[in-house]
Amino acid sequence: MTPVPVVLTANGVRSALDLDPHRTLLSVLRTELGITGPKEGCDDSECGACMVLLDGDPVNACSYLAVQADGRAVTTVEGIGTADSPAPVQRALLEAGGVQCGFCTPGMVVSATALLDRVPEPDEDDVRVALAGNLCRCTGYQKIIEAVLDAAGNRNPAG
Amino acid sequence: MNHRSYAAPGTLAEALDLLAERPGTRPVAGGTDLVVAARGGKAPLPGSLLALHRIDELRGLYADDAGLTIGAGTSHATLTTDPAVRDRWSALSDASALVGSPATRATGTLGGNLMNASPAMDTGSPLLVLGARIGLRRAGGHRTLPVERFLTGPGRTAAAPDELLTEVTVPAPAPRSGSAYVRLEHRRAMEIAVVGAAAAVTLDPDGRFVAAAVALTAVAPTCLLVPGIGDLLAGRHPDPVALALAGATARASVRPISDVRAGAGYRAAMVAVLVGRALTAAAGRARNAPHIPAGRTA
Amino acid sequence: MTATVPPTVLGSRFVRRDGPEKVSGEARYTADLSFTGLLHAAFVYAGRPHARIVSIDTTAASRLPGVHAVLTAADAPPVRYGMFVKDRTLFATDVVRFEAEIVAAVAADTAEHAAAAVAAVQVVYQDLPPILDPEAALDPDSAPVHAGWAGYGTQSGVQRGHNDCGHMTSVKGDVAAGFAEADLTLTETYTSDMVHAVPIEPHAVVAQWQGTTVTIWSTSQVPFPARAGVAETLQLPLSDVRIVVPHLGGGFGGKCDFHFEAHVALLARATRRPVRLVFSRREEFLATDKVRHATRIRLTTGLRRDGTITARRARLVLDSGAYCGDALFATEIGLMMVAGPYRIPHLHAEVHTVYTNRTPAGSVRAPGGPQTCWAVEQHTDELAALAGLDPVEFRRRNLVRAGDTGQTGQWFVSASAVECLDRAVELAARGPEPGPHEGLGIAVGWWFSLSVPSGAHLRINPDGTGTIVTGAQENGSGSVMGLPLLAAQELGMAPGAFSVQYQDTGCGPFDIGSAGSQTTFNNGRAVVEAARVIRDRLLDLAAARLEIDRADLELAGGTVRVRGVPERSVPIAEFAASTQLIASGSGTPPPLPEHDVSGCGGRLGYAAFAAPSFFCDVARVRVDPDTGVATVGEVVAVHEFGRVLNPVGAEGQVEGGVVQAMGMALLEGSRYADGHQLNPGLLGYKLVTAADAPRIVSEFLDDPVDQGGPYGAKAVGEPTVVGTTAAIGNAIAVATGRRVRALPMTAERVWTALHDPADGGRS
Repeated sequence: MTPVPVVLTANGVRSALDLDPHRTLLSVLRTELGITGPKEGCDDSECGACMVLLDGDPVNACSYLAVQADGRAVTTVEGIGTADSPAPVQRALLEAGGVQCGFCTPGMVVSATALLDRVPEPDEDDVRVALAGNLCRCTGYQKIIEAVLDAAGNRNPAG
Repeated sequence: MNHRSYAAPGTLAEALDLLAERPGTRPVAGGTDLVVAARGGKAPLPGSLLALHRIDELRGLYADDAGLTIGAGTSHATLTTDPAVRDRWSALSDASALVGSPATRATGTLGGNLMNASPAMDTGSPLLVLGARIGLRRAGGHRTLPVERFLTGPGRTAAAPDELLTEVTVPAPAPRSGSAYVRLEHRRAMEIAVVGAAAAVTLDPDGRFVAAAVALTAVAPTCLLVPGIGDLLAGRHPDPVALALAGATARASVRPISDVRAGAGYRAAMVAVLVGRALTAAAGRARNAPHIPAGRTA
Repeated sequence: MTATVPPTVLGSRFVRRDGPEKVSGEARYTADLSFTGLLHAAFVYAGRPHARIVSIDTTAASRLPGVHAVLTAADAPPVRYGMFVKDRTLFATDVVRFEAEIVAAVAADTAEHAAAAVAAVQVVYQDLPPILDPEAALDPDSAPVHAGWAGYGTQSGVQRGHNDCGHMTSVKGDVAAGFAEADLTLTETYTSDMVHAVPIEPHAVVAQWQGTTVTIWSTSQVPFPARAGVAETLQLPLSDVRIVVPHLGGGFGGKCDFHFEAHVALLARATRRPVRLVFSRREEFLATDKVRHATRIRLTTGLRRDGTITARRARLVLDSGAYCGDALFATEIGLMMVAGPYRIPHLHAEVHTVYTNRTPAGSVRAPGGPQTCWAVEQHTDELAALAGLDPVEFRRRNLVRAGDTGQTGQWFVSASAVECLDRAVELAARGPEPGPHEGLGIAVGWWFSLSVPSGAHLRINPDGTGTIVTGAQENGSGSVMGLPLLAAQELGMAPGAFSVQYQDTGCGPFDIGSAGSQTTFNNGRAVVEAARVIRDRLLDLAAARLEIDRADLELAGGTVRVRGVPERSVPIAEFAASTQLIASGSGTPPPLPEHDVSGCGGRLGYAAFAAPSFFCDVARVRVDPDTGVATVGEVVAVHEFGRVLNPVGAEGQVEGGVVQAMGMALLEGSRYADGHQLNPGLLGYKLVTAADAPRIVSEFLDDPVDQGGPYGAKAVGEPTVVGTTAAIGNAIAVATGRRVRALPMTAERVWTALHDPADGGRS
């Protein structure tokens, strides 16, 4: 195998890596770059815990080849906001009680961010469809949906 | 770990040269099917991968009076939201909107969906009823063939190993035409079709069928055009009798299997139901009804 | 317990303390942990449901590159373990009894090398006919799943048969006389498929030895029982085993009991390296031996013409799979659900826990609850129809009220079943009239609070902040995150002033873990007791300092102060800086209510329900008559939880429970062929998504009389998942006029019930 030289920009930090072309983006983020916010919850892109943004589009990192992210910008939950300075959607999740075990939360934050970047004033069904690829077993989704709608309202106080 | 190679060319010409030079090379677009299949243990990732995502020539849509040309690298998300596709080739837009999750739709491409050739693929039946042709290119050559000849079996296509699916062309619909794709599913999202049906129809000014085509998803080794629907429906109004006739014809044309998703008897019964619904939605659009999402049965 | 302090923080809405690290991705879960020299574990599974092991050859696997250890039964102490029946060993010895039985374990330097070693282990099997039909397995002449069953040790009171790892009877009155009083009788059978817990975080374990002690980071819901399991199977003193649970990504019972910790610890000891095991989702379905039992429930009920229930016979058969595990919780609780919260003067109920060659079953959130409540409540609607009564009126006539006795003679000090019913019906009626093919379905039920010992330490730090050190486990529900409310309430401090050290057997006192919805009920009591010790100490100190009688002092605003003279105060920090303010609490678990199990048989772990709580769910469901697809528009869930201390947490439990129960109603079930699961993944085994989840209206009623937990709290986590499945089933029947008597009530089963009613949707 010839390792493939790749430059990944994850959460604004450029890293040059030599990668086996079969490695998934999730594996490289978690193992090589130490970014463990994205989680591995399934084998088949069904749970959404691994969700990241690739040049702004949501991608299941568990099912995406890391080499295909060469030269592109990867944003994980860690790049959206921090514990000290959470993004509006993260703050809304806290306040609405949309976090329980927290394992799906990083993926939820990423999918919600992808939605709000594209549709700043979503209705409830927009939110439900946007989060349909992110499974949560704890919350029944209701408080997560409320939180995303709240975050949209806070981002757009006029709307 | 041995013999793994990867290339991500920026031009189509480079990609075709690589395909010619490295036999066994597998093109990968979004990877949504390929990587999942490898992780699930169905098929290991091929040793030689040719990534297509950097090739601008494979992306984009072009619609004019003659029809629609779709670059193979166009995402389901684009097909879902493009106004021309939604209004004139609605069945394809219906189907793209139903594929997986927002992430799958953003990453997965039409070309990838076709090359994966799952019997449950959502875009297959819409392309069948819309009369689509598949464009295949190799270094120094290009050919097109109808989608029904392109899909040859589960996971199998007519593309040669050195050919790249580059574009899909769909003829312009006649006036007073409409199309729709509906899918039976257990959930509203993240589904694979239990049964799917696409219909494309043209009506006369009195609302009678002039032309009609129906195709079925997930009831045969490939998506399947139901024979004889056009003749059966010609001159009829889309009334319950006509829809039932079409449903019965479709049902008689397939022998679905029982699997973990559904039993054969239920699938067969659902064929008739979904064909009726697809025809109803398509006829409604043909009468210039406003665009109504048709993809969900519940 | 009654509140001695005016309520200030109890019942408030707060942001959980672990929230910021969870929303930012900073929170570390077990699979996120890494260590220098870490090895990767993988298991060799049987891959067949039932076979004799002829030989195992690990030679080739051991010689592969990067492989540090390949272990089999020969490398583990010969210990049989099991919570109720000691029927299991860490590795298969002579026989494999389900497809994911562990035959060998590998540790290698990379996951790829571990996988290669797994593939290289050579096992020769002689296949045996799989035993897959629980009813047939109960036949005394049938082949046993465990040839040596009679010699297995058991917990006291367990009554068994050759393929029955636990049977019990619940008897009240004279059932024959009861049926003789009946004008009408109805017999129906209800079946449910195997269901999985499906936490989004798969199992993971990391083990590392330092000398003779091992530290195990695990996705356990029950760290202390897991520690006991490791100590028992590896023959170690408890003091040499430390279990730490980093953040836990959900459990729902699927991470109860113990299992894989010992295998990984054994690999780590053999290699003297840290070893990590992380399950794939496929393993999570096949190898996690904690599924909800497939169940067959037969109910016969007698009625008077006015709709009064006179008698019931019930027979429950639970498919326990290859091992007993903690399955008798499900058996015992299921047995206690067959009467429902109804007055049934004459009852005979029996339950069997049957070995088969399937994935072992065990405690999944509200074990035995949802499928039994579903069966009983489908039956209740069918009985109402038989009596010609509206389902709500039928229930009103038969529900228990204060002063009644339950099926084990349990005396109800209070009973809010009717109040829950009336309020839920009222809330559901606010919606529009049901449209075509739409129906409202109702279900009532009851649940218990588990009364067990627990413990907590509490200290006040020199700056006036507090630290709670608890043995309790946070599964995500927020029950541990709510403990500061209780300490704050007792000490007049802000909840945010307390941090919590939790889920580490090395520092917290014993607690049974996140099981039985017991954390607030029991650990809350322990925290309150510890806080009261410190409160007493502070009052003594302040009385001396201020030269005033204790009775004139109060704790408020982080100070001890004179009532009515708030400026005469001493900050708690001032005392904490000069005195050790340390306390422990456990408290006495509340006793079971008065009951009478004479005539009953077998181990009745839940002979009576402490601090019983009641609920009523109403579901609005539309059914597409052509396809059988059911859509749940709204679920109203009214619960009487006693006093709700953490409303955001309680709502979250209800909303999550409703959606999990909706999955059981419509989507979730393992399909089997020849002893193999056919859908061991999230594509084939479908959970409800955000796009399908209903609107949920929840409301809580209080019970001012029967209080068991701190400040009158009762269990919250499990009852929330019990009723919705049943309400959806009844709504489908209302919407279609047909009854589906099999779970899940898939579109195909609903369609079959509509188009082939004789089938009952069972095919």
